[in-house]
Amino acid sequence: MSQKQKDSVTAFLVYGSSFFTVAVLVIILGFIFINGIPHINMKFLTSDYENKTTYVNVPSDGTADSFEMLGLQGSFNESGQWEIKDISSDSPVNEAVDMTGASWKVKKGDVITKVGSQEIEAMKDAKEEEKTTAISNGLAEGQDGVVRLKITRLGGGIVPMVVTTLYMILLSLIVAAPIGIMAAIYLNEYAKQGRVVTLIRFAIQNLSGIPSIIYGLFGALFFVQVCHMGYSILAGSLTLSIMLLPVIISTTEETLKAIPMTYRESSLGLGATKLQTIAKVVLPNALPGIVVAIILSIGRIVGESAALLLTAGTVASIPKALTGDSAAGATLTIKAYTALKEEGNIGEACAIGVVLMVMIIILNFLSKMISKKYMSNQES
Amino acid sequence: MIKSDALVTESKTSTEASLGRNYAQEVLEKVMASVFFLCAFLAVVSVLAILGFVFYKGLKPFFGADAYSFFDFLFGTKWAPGQNVYGIFHMIVASVTGTFGAILIGVPIGLFTSVFIAELAPKNLVRIVVPAIELLAGIPSVLYGVFGVGVIVPAILKITPQVQGQSLLAVIIVLTIMILPTIVNLSVSALNAVPKSYKEGSYGLGATKMQMIFKTVVPAAKSGILSATVLAIGRAIGETMAVMLVAGNPESGILHSIFDKVRPLTTNIAIEMGYASGRQSEMLFATGVILFIFIMIVNLTLIKLTSKKPEKEEKEKEKEAKKA
Repeated sequence: MSQKQKDSVTAFLVYGSSFFTVAVLVIILGFIFINGIPHINMKFLTSDYENKTTYVNVPSDGTADSFEMLGLQGSFNESGQWEIKDISSDSPVNEAVDMTGASWKVKKGDVITKVGSQEIEAMKDAKEEEKTTAISNGLAEGQDGVVRLKITRLGGGIVPMVVTTLYMILLSLIVAAPIGIMAAIYLNEYAKQGRVVTLIRFAIQNLSGIPSIIYGLFGALFFVQVCHMGYSILAGSLTLSIMLLPVIISTTEETLKAIPMTYRESSLGLGATKLQTIAKVVLPNALPGIVVAIILSIGRIVGESAALLLTAGTVASIPKALTGDSAAGATLTIKAYTALKEEGNIGEACAIGVVLMVMIIILNFLSKMISKKYMSNQES
Repeated sequence: MIKSDALVTESKTSTEASLGRNYAQEVLEKVMASVFFLCAFLAVVSVLAILGFVFYKGLKPFFGADAYSFFDFLFGTKWAPGQNVYGIFHMIVASVTGTFGAILIGVPIGLFTSVFIAELAPKNLVRIVVPAIELLAGIPSVLYGVFGVGVIVPAILKITPQVQGQSLLAVIIVLTIMILPTIVNLSVSALNAVPKSYKEGSYGLGATKMQMIFKTVVPAAKSGILSATVLAIGRAIGETMAVMLVAGNPESGILHSIFDKVRPLTTNIAIEMGYASGRQSEMLFATGVILFIFIMIVNLTLIKLTSKKPEKEEKEKEKEAKKA
């Protein structure tokens, strides 16, 4: 083979590989967006995951014989439920109370499945007239001036997972950001070459190499069992905090290193102490870099799954406490996993994927913008 | 006399006052210095705690009265918690072959891509390819799994002699894609660090562009590319969620072909941890210990590789300084 032929073969491999790498990204994103976008609508983005059913009492003098006379506009949906499309402002439904006597706001999109003793949902295949009769019979049952309605707020949305993910970001960063930043300050501003510093650096390098499933095992044993936190957002976020340390420390340290020594020397020369120099000169200059470190960490938290699977559980509800029984919560990634693995619902998994990818693209863009602006500042 | 005494006391009080302020500041300085140190030292504590807890729980079933044979654990090919049989040899084989396959395909593709970015691509193409790779690195691993289930597994189903698409092949393909950004990013910086004089020297000897790249630049960036490979091995062997969705995860049986279902070490832990208790839970930690040992070998190799370089540079600098 001549040299020219050899060169063209290698060139082919180089261009082919690069094309492959970019094509893979396009195919993955295309697959997720094409399968996910049809599932995304307002209901998906704004409603709870589970259906929620409530019995409410609505004031009524017994003369109403249809929902329209109660000030409701709506129609039957495919599952035989009567879906509320509009509520007039003078509707008695606005004064509905639940079984504890607390007022309960009926909203557009809620469905009525039972009126008095009449199960409307069960009459799915009945004729329109029969349904109307059932409704008017149900409304006529009203006693003591109230009619009882069974109302279901339809789920199928991702609100609990979004909230859990936000909680997870907040909690993990509250713990990891200060520790990571202070550790970076120690390593760059205080530490002298020595055994302890070598040990710390060795530990940080090791932490960044440990896979998330091992962090998950540790969290499941230490935070969930030994500390009695149970599957909870606190156990999950503390596990994540340890995972984030190497990212925050190394990114912050890079920034601190980039601050010219003369800044510190001038401050010290003016009589400031070391701590004052750090607080008033070093940290303000390092701020953009620290923000980038935090954005990178948010990206890690949003994408993390294996460690959370073992520490924060897979329940699709908003956590109501930091630890204990009602503190478990699935993040978006965990829900994408369970949607696929347990329900075989690839569309829903992709729809969550779209939400995740939009978040990640925004975070990528933000961190790039900040570092670009910051770097140009540094040069000038 | 009286006057001077008064002066002395006055100056004394003022120095005492300023001393007091200095003292408070000094204490604060010292306290904060220790706080900074403790935060940094927390990294060491975390590593020790993770090691301690995982190893303590993972090694427990092999000691004591009701001990399980470590040999049977390591070399058994049957995992049946219901029958108190715990063998993980087939999982070790799955993890190792999956990682090896991904490295075998991923490293050349990644290296060629980084050569393209560092040496060949025009600037406006680099502006497309580099962000694409950054985005590829940012995709959550679950989504790689979703992609694997939706695209790779059905594609394999068309060519496989078996009834399912979940297989070692699917694992290898997913892992290959996942390690690409790691390899490309590190290799590009290694290639960019090669001094310009090397290239000029190569051209000067009459090399073609491709000869220059593959006979001069790539060998000069060897250690960086090697670190990238080791890091990729670590990523591949520790990957869980994406692999879990495409591997098939049979409890027992060693693989015979690339189309066989496999259960790597990581997925064994993730699948059963949710409901395991007692001996089964301990055995999952034991699986974690084996995984941890693999990871530690990878980590130590990586740390050795990356810390070697600056030393060399320093020595060279020292030599130069001596010469001067």
